[in-house]
Amino acid sequence: MNIEQELNETPTSVYAPHEWRHGTVVAGVPWKNPVGTASGTFNAYACGQFYDVSQMGSVTTKGVSPVEWLGNPGVRTAESPAGTVNAVGLQNPGVDHYLAHDLPYLKDLGATVIANVAGHCDDDYAQVVEKLAESDADMLEINVSCPNVTHGGMSVGTDPVALAKLMDRLRPMTDKPMIVKLTPNVTDIAAIARAAVEGGADCLSMINTLVGMRIDIRTGEPIIANRTGGVSGPAVFPVGLACVWRVRAALPDIPIIGIGGIDSGEKALEYLYAGANAVEVGGAALYDPTAPIRVALELEELLDSRPELTEKLAKGDTWR
Amino acid sequence: MPTTAFSHTVEDAVSNGRTPTRRTVDVVDVRELTPGVVRLTFRDEFTAANVKPAQFVNLYSSNPQHLMPRPFGVSDVDGDRVSLIFAVVGYGTDEFAHLKAGDRVDVLGPLGRPFDLRKDADYLLVGGGLGIPPLLEAAQALAGRDDCRAIAVLGYRDAHFADVYAARYADEVHSIDESEGNVLTLLERLWPELQESGRELIILSCGPTPMMKAVAEWASRRGVDAQLSMEQRMGCGYGTCVACTIDTRDGREKVCEAGPVFTAHQLGWDNK
Repeated sequence: MNIEQELNETPTSVYAPHEWRHGTVVAGVPWKNPVGTASGTFNAYACGQFYDVSQMGSVTTKGVSPVEWLGNPGVRTAESPAGTVNAVGLQNPGVDHYLAHDLPYLKDLGATVIANVAGHCDDDYAQVVEKLAESDADMLEINVSCPNVTHGGMSVGTDPVALAKLMDRLRPMTDKPMIVKLTPNVTDIAAIARAAVEGGADCLSMINTLVGMRIDIRTGEPIIANRTGGVSGPAVFPVGLACVWRVRAALPDIPIIGIGGIDSGEKALEYLYAGANAVEVGGAALYDPTAPIRVALELEELLDSRPELTEKLAKGDTWR
Repeated sequence: MPTTAFSHTVEDAVSNGRTPTRRTVDVVDVRELTPGVVRLTFRDEFTAANVKPAQFVNLYSSNPQHLMPRPFGVSDVDGDRVSLIFAVVGYGTDEFAHLKAGDRVDVLGPLGRPFDLRKDADYLLVGGGLGIPPLLEAAQALAGRDDCRAIAVLGYRDAHFADVYAARYADEVHSIDESEGNVLTLLERLWPELQESGRELIILSCGPTPMMKAVAEWASRRGVDAQLSMEQRMGCGYGTCVACTIDTRDGREKVCEAGPVFTAHQLGWDNK
């Protein structure tokens, strides 16, 4: 290709297949690029109509429970400054449905799939992990950080003893890389991170949503039926970044997936400089359906001029 | 939305077999129909060519403090021009009401499952207040069909702001406001004549939930099928966040994806 042709080249399309230049390795699993989708904001069919989800570094599916969960009553969502508060309560059709539909659909497309595991108690988590142990999922993510369920979720992820006990039970059940997703709603996230790693976590992802709420000033009552929900979106970006920074300082070797408020390649890059191996885009997909693939493309251009960082990522190492 | 060097045009999406994502379009007209009720028209070939009655589009504020979409039912299409009618109820609708011709706004859509208009029948379009716009779009779709009639039955609190638009497409327009009664008053009045025609009747309805429920029960008692366009507070509007659910006979469904149109039977409003 001569220079003139190169200059006239049409810009890369968010819709077209792409040859990725900078991969990463997360707990031994190769990702095409360092950008995934975050659980709870990704639906294979809804998102797949807009872009080729197999182009992502990974996709994390919505939390699956042993049986169908109906989630919380409506209203489930309210806008918040530069973000949103949601309390869906992990509505999902259950792990058997997941194994019969979503997972094979995504694997047929060629996606790298992280299955997010939800439970109301240790037995729930164990039942799901047992069913996913021999599945085609590439990684499992244990959701001990959902703020919108009354049992399980964040109640485990804020208690290092309960978390270690859960991990002791789950860890021997599968050889698949196991990610523990952490909540920022704690005094010392590094203490929880340490408990997860001591319990056998291969990787940590952070952050899940922050507890928040909105009140309707016409009625004086909470907008969301669950009263409180989880805050996500650009508003939480600096919180997630600081959590990754703190955990990286405490645990130099554990793979970390940075999540929280990422809506651009620049913000993804900040997470990589904070010590993450990879990142996930969550809330941005709710107001910009192609945000995840756009962030991956933007990050790739930024990485082109950062060979020291890309060499580390390619080996599964991190900037710090 | 952050500027990007990456192409995301509608043509790109279509040529790659994808649904076009959020895009920036030109506003061509904004007018107040009655205090607090606005008709906004923008130019978007993709929506104009593809939208079906009861489908909606998301509009996005230009203020990064207000990121979440606002969904609006499309009221009518003229060439590449798409119109919406809405009430100013909060920050987002206020911003859109103050747009002017020549301004730009971000849209996504069309979204959702439309009314089913496949049958040759007389369609009763029963709307209440700001639920009327999707029925105008239904009237427009039926206007091109010789084998169907569209009979608009519209209820208002006071000003009959949509009658002039309904009259463009519907075969008959009947409207009423709270000083005289409601849509059920009109339905009762029209019923003898409708019965005499002997043609199959189908009700399409959109409006406040108590009104739609009453309309569905009225229809059920007379053996008339009804399709209702439901409203629920939405998140993404395209099926990924699972915020806008309602309970149906098929389970807990997303209004943005399985709906907004549900049959009276799906909603359990048909007394069967």
